Amino acid sequence: MFKLELYKTLAATLLATTMLTGIAQAQESDTAAYNGLWNAKKDISGGVHYPFKDGKTGPYVLNPQVYEDSDISKGKDGLKKGFNNGRLATSNELQAWDKDIRPDGIGLPEGSGYVDEGEALYEAKCMSCHGDFGSGGGGYPALAAGKAKEIKRMLKNNRWLNPTAEGPTRVIGSYWPYASTLFWYIRDAMPHPKSKVLSNDETYSLVAYMLYINNMKVKGEIVNETFKLDREKFLQIEMPNKNGFIPYIDGSDGIENIRTFFQNAQNFGGIRLAKGEEPCMQNCQQTDNIVRLNGGITDFEPAMSVERNLPQKVEAVSFDPKAAYDNNCAMCHETGVAPPAGNKVKWTPYLKKGLAAVLQSAINGTENGMPPKGGSSLSDDEFKQVVEFMVK
Amino acid sequence: MKSHKQILKNSSDVIQTDGKIDRRAFFRKTGAISAIAAASVVAPSVLQASQDDPNIMHHPQWGQIWGDPVSENLYGLPSAYEHNNTRRYTKLLASGNYRAAIAVTPIHESEGIITPNGLFFSRSHGGTAHIDPNKWRLMINGLVEKPIVLTLEQLKRYPRVTRTHFIECPANGGQEWRRPQYNSLQFAKGFMSCAEWTGVYIKTILKDLGLKPTAKWMLAEGSDNSEMGRSVPVEKVLDDAMLVWGQNGEALRPEQGYPVRLLLPGWEGNLCVKWVKRLEFSDEPWYAKEETSKYTALKPNGKAVQHFYANEVNSTVVIPSPEKPWTSIKEGDEVEIEGLAWSGMGTITRVDLSFDGGNNYVKANLKGLILPKCWTRWSYMYTIPKGFKNKDGKQIILTSRAMDDAGFVQPSVDQEIFGYGVAKEDYGKDKDKGMGVESVYHRNAIESWEVSENGEVNHVQIRTI
Ligand code: HEC
Ligand code: HEC
Repeated sequence: MFKLELYKTLAATLLATTMLTGIAQAQESDTAAYNGLWNAKKDISGGVHYPFKDGKTGPYVLNPQVYEDSDISKGKDGLKKGFNNGRLATSNELQAWDKDIRPDGIGLPEGSGYVDEGEALYEAKCMSCHGDFGSGGGGYPALAAGKAKEIKRMLKNNRWLNPTAEGPTRVIGSYWPYASTLFWYIRDAMPHPKSKVLSNDETYSLVAYMLYINNMKVKGEIVNETFKLDREKFLQIEMPNKNGFIPYIDGSDGIENIRTFFQNAQNFGGIRLAKGEEPCMQNCQQTDNIVRLNGGITDFEPAMSVERNLPQKVEAVSFDPKAAYDNNCAMCHETGVAPPAGNKVKWTPYLKKGLAAVLQSAINGTENGMPPKGGSSLSDDEFKQVVEFMVK
Repeated sequence: MKSHKQILKNSSDVIQTDGKIDRRAFFRKTGAISAIAAASVVAPSVLQASQDDPNIMHHPQWGQIWGDPVSENLYGLPSAYEHNNTRRYTKLLASGNYRAAIAVTPIHESEGIITPNGLFFSRSHGGTAHIDPNKWRLMINGLVEKPIVLTLEQLKRYPRVTRTHFIECPANGGQEWRRPQYNSLQFAKGFMSCAEWTGVYIKTILKDLGLKPTAKWMLAEGSDNSEMGRSVPVEKVLDDAMLVWGQNGEALRPEQGYPVRLLLPGWEGNLCVKWVKRLEFSDEPWYAKEETSKYTALKPNGKAVQHFYANEVNSTVVIPSPEKPWTSIKEGDEVEIEGLAWSGMGTITRVDLSFDGGNNYVKANLKGLILPKCWTRWSYMYTIPKGFKNKDGKQIILTSRAMDDAGFVQPSVDQEIFGYGVAKEDYGKDKDKGMGVESVYHRNAIESWEVSENGEVNHVQIRTI
């Protein structure tokens, strides 16, 4: 008993010493210390701000030739010297890379596209992953789930009182605050296997199709197959869940709104003790109900093991094209998006150009949804065997 | 690259020869052999009480013949025996072809506060990009007097700083809002790692450029195929934000954004954009893809926290854990319970440990380096009671609870869901209180391990619903 107590006291002293030397520059150094910087300046996230002061920040020593004693909260950036690295960006370089799009329309290009054009593009380039009408599945996000306005109401379906109830559905129409994200993201990041291949007009048509499958309206106009989206109309899109976010980050008050929000721990499920308040040590919970695993998730790759042994020698098994096909290709080639293995009729049009050309085209990937090598990591030789198996 | 295979081949030879010799010697000595004794030959780590240990009585092959020449393994690899200490992934957390996916860190095997580079968790939205550092460029534009482009060599000319920080995916623990899902520390808490980073404070670069006073926000954009982008308040940028190229004494690994990533100490991993290519300053925030249906925390009132920055105070028991049970430990053994604590909002100041799932606590001890926004080790010495039971006859449930210097303390499962200070009868009545169970992100409630009568450790949650 005595030993344990002594050990604890020692550890506590050690801790206190570290705290003191480490963070002594904070406004308040309370030796009891578990919440000793309570009054210290907070950063915007509600965390402790460690100033650059007395040649240190937190426990880290600073090179005084580079950093002054200063505090960014007082508008002093804390730097002594300027440098002169790099060079001015040219206007062409800026044009090439500065392509982000903001909700206020800054960065949104001119152009236009129709829903039905978008639908054709979608079926060719997107459906293999995102499914019919953006239904998603197989680890690929759904892009729609029915009428956006109705789905939006489900965002209040919190399963906190009933774990088996129906939960919220978070898709573009029900959740995204601005359409600018849709244009920006599709043009620069989709299709996933090879991005940055869509023109502005193609992107307009795909965004139009997204609005269509989400059953949306633009300024009262129902988005149907013949709907045409251009820059002007785009800027009139109002997403149903535009006001679904806290704190309000836009405008001149945005930053202060965020700061205020994170000052209150209750806003984000946190607990911040009052100054000097001890945390609860006894009888802290209102329940002793134990929720155990119910099977749970166990398909870990590789399987869980903490053995210290030698990896099992993998016998040099001969490569099985059928198994490789099942694992890497069937998800598209057996689901109607691409020609299935063994179906001569479906393969004939492809094979007109010759097997070698088919193979090359499949290795490089196609515009119409075949990812390079099907997204697999098969070797060239293995891939060739799979293709031969498919077209047989 | 040579030669994982080489080593494996050699070392399996070792085992074979070794095993044979041992077994023969064993027979000679004892004359008879039981099934259990035979098993003990195969599992050499068990010391038998009554006989001389063959591992001591006989020279192992490695003690007699040459080891590898120094020309082997010029970039060193772990011992072949450590092959189970790897990142792991699961289909549940991956797009169909594992390009928008995560592989998580085996923190049950972690030592100290540094994650080796090969085990650092790996999350990408379009696969791991492989960038030619000679072709890599950084552009800084927007509300600056002087928009510039830099090469890697030019970036590295700035005075460098080295800092030790964890990076945590905000979805760490995020599959367990409604119930425990993983009987595994690696998957329950391994969406995070900790490293020593070297780079430059962004404010040092901005000194050259002249940030305009109207600049309130910075966009960081990756150069991978998903062009991952996030909005960051300039205030953080001028505080401790860094562009880093060094990770634990070497270049960043491709999985961590080689050659350069953004590091926002303490803030969610998704904000620390990898393979970064451009920083733009502006008066208004952007609305990037990861600021919409993902990385926003949906509350019971149907509103979502859109920008959620710091990873809140958190902790876990590491030893024991489901992967590292107490099955070879018995009554009366003196053991160290060890764990990790971390906070993106400051420095860990204290960790308490509970044996009944968070109802009653004792103080544990912090040990080692205690740094801001960094993994911190804690420890508690414990004598194993009979049947791993508390005095009331119930099985031990180990739960840790950390505190930071900003005054934050980890909530219980109920407190995080229904709000702090809400009576049980009032759960769910005020939709503005608590985070509910649909947030996905930023779950930092206490975590519990139940120890069974035979020392197995299982993940449980103590919660009303
Ligand atoms: C090879 C599969 C694949 C193809 C083909 C593909 N995508 Fe995607 N898409 C994905 C994955 C995976 C994600 C999720 C990425 C992430 O998690 O960051 C995604 C995400 C999206 C999202 C964001 C959804 C959300 O709610 O966050 C949109 C919008 C989208 N894709 C549109 C498209 C469009 C339009 C096309 C066709 C031009 C397309 N995708 C083609 C795999 C694909
Ligand atoms: C993400 C869905 C997807 C996956 C996965 C996929 N494919 Fe494809 N594949 C397609 C689509 C769609 C086409 C039709 C493309 C076209 O018409 O240009 C196609 C076409 C092909 C073609 C014909 C190419 C040509 O232009 O002649 C070959 C060969 C092929 N795939 C092989 C494979 C193999 C082998 C695998 C697995 C290793 C695989 N694919 C995985 C979607 C996929």
